[in-house]
Amino acid sequence: MKKAIIGISVAVIWFVCVIAFAVAAADTSGAAHQFTVLTVKEDAVMNYNSMPVFKELAEETGIEVNWTYNTSAQYSNNIDPVAIKGIDAIYHSGFSNLKLYDYGRRGRIVAIDQYLTSMPNFSKILNERPDIKEALKSPDGHIYSLPRVEEMGLKAYPNILYLNKAWVEQLIDANELPAGVTLTKDDLKDGLDISRKDFKAILEKFNEKDFAGGGKTVPLAFVSGNWQGNESDLIASFGIPENREHKTIVDGKVTFTIEDEKWFEAVREISDWYQRGLIRSSAFTQTDNEFLARGQDGRYGAFYWWEKDTVIAKDKRDDYIIVLPLKDDDGNRYVGVSNELEVEKGECVILSSCADKEGLLSYFDKFFEPEYSAQLNYGSIKSGAFLSEKVNGKLIPNDDHGAQSADDFRMKNAPYGVVYLTQEVWESSVEMESRAKLRLENLEEYVKPYTYEGVTSIPNLNYTQDELNTLNTYEISLSNNIASWFTKAITDGTPTRDSWQNLLSTNRTSINTVLELNQRAYDRYVEAVETAQD
Amino acid sequence: MTDGVMEATGNVDEDLIEQAYEALDGSSGAPAGADFDGAENGGETQNKSKWQKWKENFKRKGWILVFILPALIYVIIFCYVPMYGILTAFQDYMPGDQIIGSTTVWVGWKNFNTFFSNPNFWDYFVNTFLLCILGFIVGFPLPIIVALLLNSVRPKKVKKGLQILYYAPHFISLVVLVGMMKFMFGSEGLLDNLSKNLGGGGIDLFLKAEAFRPLFIFSGNWQDFGWSAIIYLAALSGVDPSLHEAAKVDGASRFRRIFSVDLPAILPTIVMLMILSVGNLMSCGYEKVLLMQTDGNIEQSEILSTYVYNFGLKGGQYGLGTAAGLFNSVINVVLLVIANFTSKKLSGNSMW
Repeated sequence: MKKAIIGISVAVIWFVCVIAFAVAAADTSGAAHQFTVLTVKEDAVMNYNSMPVFKELAEETGIEVNWTYNTSAQYSNNIDPVAIKGIDAIYHSGFSNLKLYDYGRRGRIVAIDQYLTSMPNFSKILNERPDIKEALKSPDGHIYSLPRVEEMGLKAYPNILYLNKAWVEQLIDANELPAGVTLTKDDLKDGLDISRKDFKAILEKFNEKDFAGGGKTVPLAFVSGNWQGNESDLIASFGIPENREHKTIVDGKVTFTIEDEKWFEAVREISDWYQRGLIRSSAFTQTDNEFLARGQDGRYGAFYWWEKDTVIAKDKRDDYIIVLPLKDDDGNRYVGVSNELEVEKGECVILSSCADKEGLLSYFDKFFEPEYSAQLNYGSIKSGAFLSEKVNGKLIPNDDHGAQSADDFRMKNAPYGVVYLTQEVWESSVEMESRAKLRLENLEEYVKPYTYEGVTSIPNLNYTQDELNTLNTYEISLSNNIASWFTKAITDGTPTRDSWQNLLSTNRTSINTVLELNQRAYDRYVEAVETAQD
Repeated sequence: MTDGVMEATGNVDEDLIEQAYEALDGSSGAPAGADFDGAENGGETQNKSKWQKWKENFKRKGWILVFILPALIYVIIFCYVPMYGILTAFQDYMPGDQIIGSTTVWVGWKNFNTFFSNPNFWDYFVNTFLLCILGFIVGFPLPIIVALLLNSVRPKKVKKGLQILYYAPHFISLVVLVGMMKFMFGSEGLLDNLSKNLGGGGIDLFLKAEAFRPLFIFSGNWQDFGWSAIIYLAALSGVDPSLHEAAKVDGASRFRRIFSVDLPAILPTIVMLMILSVGNLMSCGYEKVLLMQTDGNIEQSEILSTYVYNFGLKGGQYGLGTAAGLFNSVINVVLLVIANFTSKKLSGNSMW
């Protein structure tokens, strides 16, 4: 018994000592110009603490940042990341508008606009770009986060239509092209010009012949409702500026596409495609990863995505060609514009517990310089992401990474996050990556010219607290109702006009409220941007 | 029970406890008769008030109460203490705010107003109600029938074998179960491919709103009927064999014996479990619903608990989520009280 008591007391004393030492050690780490920042990072990405770009930043600013990690799974499970002890900021915080405002007005994260004097780059951006400033504001007029701005002009057009040329060639060889379709092998190159009717006839042949074998053929593949590679541009070919939110701005007016007669016609036609087996039910149930995995062995007759490299394995990649937006019966082509934003708001937040806010913000301010932005976005010059010598004052990306693929290299070496890469930066200081350039060229040539006239994306709008609450009541249920009707209309027999009218009438209040609030906020946005420019 | 029986059983228990007491304590036992009934040593105990008797008893045997302490602590810590969180239903709450303190933002009934004015509120309500009540109608009698049938299987090995076969699916995790269902009924699943190869257009039950409830309920029952039958089997094993023998002598068929002997014997258990499950009627778990949810079936698969998850937890509106959850719980409590009251009136069985 005595021995046991002695044993236990020794253990207790030892335990207390260890804790005391740990506490003491933690206390000494709060020296000036040294910060701890939490970031969200996967294991494949290099340790930020040993990344050359951060070492360079530390040398230049004299500020040392100690990065700690959460994996994205850990981070998303943490219901209150701002409460984590001992950190000064969260990088890749990914906070929504509502969350930024909720934390901001409780004073738990810092209103960055109060420290602009120590942030020359950021304040310059805000002065030069009133649209970005407007987008970053919270309902109380404060800016609570550092943004990520990457203006490549890619995100507004997330769909390119690809067609399996090899299968069409087989049809031509067997002389089995559908009646009325006149295609020669010479036509089969990027930018194929084809009407929706002919396209449908070809897909039917794909389905009938089952080129992939064993019933594995998917004539037309996409991921319904995904941010890229969705069915929007198929619907847009009926002459409506569709995107995945069914909401867009036409000539300065916020509009729901679902109210358009043509939208209903489009849904009815797509339902017919579905019933004929041209679209599989997987289009409505698969995730983007499932879509990518299924496509690798070339079983897609045609698909929507914004590039083919990730969808199709290398040996089959040359089989696919870009198709121009499908021509309607009158010979017109249309594409819509997505509402995906190039200004991402909640990229980085500073916690109120940070002892030296000016210091940390002056460090993050460096991130907005073109040279650092480029390195953060693609990997450091030292690691070989860019050639060591500039050409005409521009950083030139290095495409040769040896055995590593470009994606793997970037994934490992680039921390992403807070960057500022605008059109101006691409023109003057950083050369675009060749893959991005190719994607952009494809879009410029095959997609953008067909944008529905007068259509623009909905920018990051600012709402008052009351408007936010009202929107919360209506917006989510409205989009659920539309998605539910849409999926049902396509997958469950031919939709009737009555059911469409019913969708509109039962959701009338929601539609009108959302439109009104969006319009009001958009008008304010336009006004604010205009006054700032004057 | 008559007093005589009471005394007799009281005595037996008393003796046992006395022995245990002595064995544990090593000291001499307390004088017999100072038990809770107090009926034995009449002369001495009659002079003492009830309170005094209770106190004496407590001094001698109060330590037995220690055994219920862990359960009590568990219930208090994990069931009662967290209940103060309900207050967030009346607040504009963010994690990190004090629930009662200087940083609390009280908003009154605003969260409830938002919840009730949701244009889809009635759909969610009806969906929850239908899903749960249909599940109850199918799922409640099934284990009883299975238990009665299993009980009348004669060979012991067959009975045990069947029982294990029936309750084994209970141990499959929900994610795996829904994965299995997708392989069978989803796109490019068994049914889909079968129909395509037979020349049909393919069937994806996960996209059909009408298929959601049957899929949910039957998969749930397939998984759990064997497990739920165990408690009835236990009750059935307590049936006195002499009752069966007597019934046999009277010429009752096996079927008749199930109805006249087995069923009445487990009726109190059935009623008690029914009251309990009525109390949980509006809360069918959200995990499986979320796993099965697609845009195609969301008109029937969005229920109150998935609303709490989607709006409250994912949308960061914790107050709203709590309000919706509280509303659900209130309905459950009302149902529980009604069920308990009805059963008390009709059959005399009740929880309190």
